Amino acid sequence: MEELLFGIGISAVAGALATVSGAAEDTESDIGSQGDPNSQVQLAPQMGYIHRIYSKAISGEPPAYGLWCTLGAGLAWALMAINYNPVLAIVLGSAIAVFVQGVYATTAYLGRTASLAKFEQPVYIDLIKSVTTVTMAHAFIAIFTCVSMCFLMVNALGHPFPLPLLGIVWGIALGAAGSATGNPFYGKERQYQSQKFGAGVPISASGNIVRYAEAGQRSSLDNGWFTSKMGGPASGVCFGLIVFLELWRTIFFESFAAGWGAVVAGIVLIIIFMIIDRMVEKWARKTYGPYTEEKEATA
Amino acid sequence: MSHNKVLGIGLIGAIICMYLTYLNTLLGVQYFSFFGGIAAVFALWWGTDTIKHLCSYGLGTGVPSAGMIALGSGVIAMILATKVNTFGPLVIPVLCVVIAAILGAIIGYVANNIVNMNIPVMVVSIAELCIVGAVTVLGLTAMATGTFVFTDLIAGTATFFGIPVTNYAASYLGGGAIAVVFMLGAIAVQHAFNACLGPNESQDRTLMLAAECGFISMFCVSIMSVAFLSLSAVLVSFLVSLIGWVYTYKKYFVLSKRDAFMWLDAKPIREKEEA
Repeated sequence: MEELLFGIGISAVAGALATVSGAAEDTESDIGSQGDPNSQVQLAPQMGYIHRIYSKAISGEPPAYGLWCTLGAGLAWALMAINYNPVLAIVLGSAIAVFVQGVYATTAYLGRTASLAKFEQPVYIDLIKSVTTVTMAHAFIAIFTCVSMCFLMVNALGHPFPLPLLGIVWGIALGAAGSATGNPFYGKERQYQSQKFGAGVPISASGNIVRYAEAGQRSSLDNGWFTSKMGGPASGVCFGLIVFLELWRTIFFESFAAGWGAVVAGIVLIIIFMIIDRMVEKWARKTYGPYTEEKEATA
Repeated sequence: MSHNKVLGIGLIGAIICMYLTYLNTLLGVQYFSFFGGIAAVFALWWGTDTIKHLCSYGLGTGVPSAGMIALGSGVIAMILATKVNTFGPLVIPVLCVVIAAILGAIIGYVANNIVNMNIPVMVVSIAELCIVGAVTVLGLTAMATGTFVFTDLIAGTATFFGIPVTNYAASYLGGGAIAVVFMLGAIAVQHAFNACLGPNESQDRTLMLAAECGFISMFCVSIMSVAFLSLSAVLVSFLVSLIGWVYTYKKYFVLSKRDAFMWLDAKPIREKEEA
């Protein structure tokens, strides 16, 4: 019983760390316009809309976060191998991983923007100085919490995988959660808030992203404020739930049927979530009308 | 620079550097580990040009996937090559290239003829990428551990109360340190072309960024090698990668400034005249 309580407690802590991690990850990627929103930021100058928005194309978010978290975990593992204190090792590992993230971010912005010279998009060097550091700060929180969570899984719950391998698994999951949950909020809503609500993104509006703010010009830093209100916490809840339910079902049901109990519980959880998703979708379609009529109205 | 010239320089440079790491075994020291990282830089430099060649067939979003397939297939070839010890350790780098070429050709054939992607350069490019992946992992592995022999990669020592104890979980493969090398290579090989993609992409800038990605990967591996190598050997690797990184990063800024439309500091949006 005590072991079970300990396991649930660790699951709760890991879930809480994952929630912070997911929220920070999505805020970071929205400030840097990584992933889904990047294509429109990239397209805008080609359609004649010069902007001052950061464009950070380091593959997709899942592989990129796969690298940052694996790097943080791997360096922490190496430092722990020479008997560093785990907390210090994780902090140092995450800090070096964030340094690499910052380097990749600057080269991605410079590369993409310089390659758009034909469309008269200048390189705004002050963006590199101001925005990169903010994305690095958010990325540090995301990586540090994710690696700490992996460390808890290995050392408290006795997960058989070594730390760097868990880093790769949960890093990719973290990137995927942020990319799928929070990014559309920025990429489909905020970039197009000047368009009619619910109109989708018609081809004629492609690249016509919002470039001016209430006062002056929109900076990518504003996206941090915007994302931290809804997109970030939503991603955090998503990733936190994934981690918590994953650990919870393993701890509770692993003793049944030689481990198969946890597998069955996982399948049941997936089915429950599929039913919830379907209900939400049906509710949304019923409340906001069919998509096709909207399209006819705007065309 | 023609692709064949990049291929030649990358392949030959990488293999020569791989053999230079063997000086570690010959002289009984660990200082030559950093040559493994240089081999990886050569391989990544060449791989970037291959990805550019392959993706000129309209694979825009396929650039990161090309990096993943390169390292994913390469790591298999690399582990198999290090495991074969019937011909002695000196054959491993060449064997690694041969196995990777065969594996890459098979994967390329499946992608092109069975999945029907129908890209003329597919088989050759995937074979090249597989070699790039294998050599990158082998190089960075040699840099982290000082060796490329399988038996050394699964033997680790952990210290308990000052007494060294053999422990599989503390080894390079058992500790999962290869996962770090895998991800470093997978992002580094695709990043340069993915970042410089666009109508004004120029080869020298892209290849400079490729070298920069290689050196930053080396930098990370040099820090990770504290778990396996003596502190002085780590310091040599660290300094070499730091110097290489600072040089290529600065050079990349210069080249970007050359190619950029304008280089503005804290200036407002410059609207086009006709817009």
